[in-house]
Amino acid sequence: MKRAKNLYSYYMVFPALLIYSVFFVIPAIAAFYYSFTDWRLDRMDLKFIGWDNFEKIFSDKTLILALKNTAIFAVVTVAGKNIIGLLLAVALNMRLKTKNLLRAIFYSPSILSILVISILFTPMLRTEGTINRVLEAVGLHSLSQAWLTNPSLVIWTIAIVSIWQSAGFQMAIYLAGLQSISQEYYEAAKIDGASSWKSFFKITLPLLLPAININLMLTLIGGLKVFSEVYVMTGGGPGNASQVVGTIILRSFGEGNWGLGTAVNTLLFVVVTIIAIPLLVFMRRKEVTE
Amino acid sequence: MHKTKKAASMILASLLSISLTACGSGGTDSGTSASNGNKNAKVTLELAISKSSQDSAFIQQDILDEFEKQTNISVNLQLIPAEQTTTVLQTKLAVDETPDIIQYNLASAVTDLNLERNFEILDNESWASRIVNKDVLSAAGHIYSFHVSQDTGMQGVVYNKQIFADLGLSIPTSYDQFLAICEKIKAGGITPVFMPYKDAWAANIWPAAAFADFVAKNDPSFFDELNSNKKKWSDIPEFKTFLEQQYEVYTKGYTNADVLSDSYDMAVGKFLNKEVAMMFMGDWLIEGVAQQDPSMELGVFPIPSSEDAKLGASPLGGQLFIPKKAKHLNEAKQFLDFIASKEIAQEIVDSKGYVSNFSDVTTPELPAYKQDIVDNYITPKKTVLTTDAYMLVDRSELYRLLQDQFAGGLTPEEVLKSWDEKFSQLMQDKGVSGF
Repeated sequence: MKRAKNLYSYYMVFPALLIYSVFFVIPAIAAFYYSFTDWRLDRMDLKFIGWDNFEKIFSDKTLILALKNTAIFAVVTVAGKNIIGLLLAVALNMRLKTKNLLRAIFYSPSILSILVISILFTPMLRTEGTINRVLEAVGLHSLSQAWLTNPSLVIWTIAIVSIWQSAGFQMAIYLAGLQSISQEYYEAAKIDGASSWKSFFKITLPLLLPAININLMLTLIGGLKVFSEVYVMTGGGPGNASQVVGTIILRSFGEGNWGLGTAVNTLLFVVVTIIAIPLLVFMRRKEVTE
Repeated sequence: MHKTKKAASMILASLLSISLTACGSGGTDSGTSASNGNKNAKVTLELAISKSSQDSAFIQQDILDEFEKQTNISVNLQLIPAEQTTTVLQTKLAVDETPDIIQYNLASAVTDLNLERNFEILDNESWASRIVNKDVLSAAGHIYSFHVSQDTGMQGVVYNKQIFADLGLSIPTSYDQFLAICEKIKAGGITPVFMPYKDAWAANIWPAAAFADFVAKNDPSFFDELNSNKKKWSDIPEFKTFLEQQYEVYTKGYTNADVLSDSYDMAVGKFLNKEVAMMFMGDWLIEGVAQQDPSMELGVFPIPSSEDAKLGASPLGGQLFIPKKAKHLNEAKQFLDFIASKEIAQEIVDSKGYVSNFSDVTTPELPAYKQDIVDNYITPKKTVLTTDAYMLVDRSELYRLLQDQFAGGLTPEEVLKSWDEKFSQLMQDKGVSGF
């Protein structure tokens, strides 16, 4: 009877496992294979070419630039989204009369698609756009910039837009984590004479680690897979200044070089895995339970 | 209970397999009648066309009905979503599910669809001898495409005739004259040139015509040598000069300030508001402006990169192609014969206001700007096919490099050098011999 019950759970999982295999596992394995070929739709003679595609990736200046931009974007957005999200969460976890309204306001950008946000921000970030006009109106002429057309600034601008859009979502996860921490710890700390800072670093942060882990993983993987905001706001430009791995994959497919595009995709998968899994394991070890 | 379950499973499995079989056979019934051995069966041609080309002259229902009436061959349209057209056609050609006829554009067919491998050469078709301008239908020395019009889009400097008249300006025939004109327009409080280079392709209009004009006059074998890796883009010093010229128009302050933020879709509005006097663009812009305000008088003159340059002729436009592996090759060619017949071609040319490409089909009265192009450039043969016609690879990286020049990231030499490297890699990937 017990055995039948155990089997029953497998029956329930099987359809999902089948769909997952057909639409993810098999394509992923196939993509891994194709990344070692010169796959092009305009040639029928598919050849196994070993590491050639990967060598090409590391000898192409644009691809190197794309990897660098992706790393900058990932680091900046992971830091920005989590620091701002955490600060907002701590602030809005206090007894404020307007806390519900403020939570809704800060969370609302994350409801919108990043495509919509990017389309809205593109004209605002023009040299003669709203942001520069506001800066000039308040006397901050020197901060006025060519936000999306200055090659050395553009990837940072896109990262800031992404932080603006998503920090509210990170805030919501931190808020949930903060509310699960028992007030007794803070009361005990208060009796012992601990300052607010000490309470934050000794109680809040350690007990918030599960939420921090989730947020770090989400923002890191999202950062490394960045595509939509770059595609909409600059298309990887000006020139190739804001190319990221996602736009390079699109470019390779557009050039008919499907093998190379798949290799870049495989590389992205490997990079995300190499960074995400050890980080996850490390952070999990640091977690403490109440 | 167990037996009931087993029976139910078998019934379900049978139903599923029947439904799958039905799906599998459904897609092939229209086009395979001839191959079923019944020679009297009616043939249905499959014509694949992008949804964005739904107003194509070739697929007007009355024309398709007339073709069916005369030949007992019907045409089934495969409308492909615009953003997926290239991928869908690439896939169809790769897996031999080829339509009988495809509407695409010639320059992109060379780079996207492997023209020489996949499509029929049409040099010996009965209508080919009546073609006036074979260049606009040709690649690699052969006619691969079909159209009744030779007006596939002219590229040069689109200008506001009224502003020119008000300021007493005439069409410049040299770069220095062009700069002088810009200075006068600027002094008149109008932006001389609109550069919408957020769309990187727009930065290619000047070099595409200037390069082609230069090599046509000075080095006619250049593109053959380029495509066999005997010459490079950076081998022609004048190419660097042409890139410098375009950039100089910007650095001298003759353009909109935000060239990398402004996009092509703003162009019609800029001309309608008379904010700008000129733009390096195709004559399709004039058509767009005329639709909004027919009273606007715009014209186009050649990119003034060197003395008496020719007007750029774009190899773009929606031509018809017949895949080599078309299931009904002869019937597909019959369709082109039908469209090329004097009566039908005349009907299309009249209704669309085309510049006829058949010696026995008369060009109707054209809009003023188009008539100017015919009189001043097409008839006296002062046009030159832009570089797009000769490139065998995807050109978007070149466009990005040109954009990079305006972002201050690359000098003209670096643009050409980087494009040489990318061009070589793309040709190598494509398997072109010599690379």
